[in-house]
Amino acid sequence: MKPSFKLDAHPRRPRPLLSEPPAGYFDALPTQIMARLPQAAARATVPGWLAWLTPALRTSLASVTVLGGFAASFYLSGPAQPATAATASLDAVPRTELVGYLLTSGARVENSDLAVLAAAHPNITKGFLHASAEEVADALDEQPSEDLTYL
Amino acid sequence: MEDHDILLKFQDPASRNLAFNQLVRKYQSKVYWHVRKMVVDHDDADDLTQDVFVKVWKHLENFRQDAALFTWIYRIATNECLNFLSSKRRKFLLPLNDVGAELAAKIEADPALAGDEIELKLQQAILRLPDKQRLVFNLRYYDEMPYEQMAEITGTSVGALKASYHHAVKKVEEYVTRTTDD
Repeated sequence: MKPSFKLDAHPRRPRPLLSEPPAGYFDALPTQIMARLPQAAARATVPGWLAWLTPALRTSLASVTVLGGFAASFYLSGPAQPATAATASLDAVPRTELVGYLLTSGARVENSDLAVLAAAHPNITKGFLHASAEEVADALDEQPSEDLTYL
Repeated sequence: MEDHDILLKFQDPASRNLAFNQLVRKYQSKVYWHVRKMVVDHDDADDLTQDVFVKVWKHLENFRQDAALFTWIYRIATNECLNFLSSKRRKFLLPLNDVGAELAAKIEADPALAGDEIELKLQQAILRLPDKQRLVFNLRYYDEMPYEQMAEITGTSVGALKASYHHAVKKVEEYVTRTTDD
């Protein structure tokens, strides 16, 4: 007669004889689990009324908010103001000092610099350039053609 | 680190992640093997173990400490396992016995059991038990857990658990006796 199996007589193991998980599994598992947590945390921080919106709607709302922010800041900043501060501070410097600086610093004032200055401040030359239109035209005619680009 | 210290640190947002990492390191092996005994396959056990700890993270703030932390984690793990097995049955329209047979086939393919006929038959017999009875058997036979703690985990009375375990042992012994060669 076949002997009956008795569980009490069988050597007890702490767990079934299954193959072990891959080497290093328990070292890597906490990292894998922690990597899954921030998503849950982020969802928990969404305000209640936002939670009712679909993710697509939430993305659209965020885009509209950002674009609206740009538009508002552009509107509030108004048209570009002329940079008067630099001109005013330069006006306070005596002319002799300016001339001395230009002569000793090695800085050269090119025609192009004057052209840019005249374009930005059309009346600036009236204070020091006392010449008739014919004299100006003659002076321009004598300039090489490449220097006339900005005039 | 003691459970109390872990829970205390978890309440502080600055040390929450660190505390939870400690919790995972402390209980990961027990949870994994509890799950693995139920689902057999390592990949399934891996997925479920991660799911268990994500759930623990979500609900730990509301943990009232009227049970031991480990008992509470075990309860979550148990529910995850039972839900997984029943959803597997629903998904593949499998009757109760077929999942047991599938798990038994996985056991047969496990190289750790090669050459140990009695142990193989024992595992096959255990896997043929209904899920909840198998859970009771695992908690009592392998984990040697007191019936009172098992009652907290399963939400079943101590008397019902004792009866369930007694019947499970009888079924296992009968199966191994019947299927083992002389």
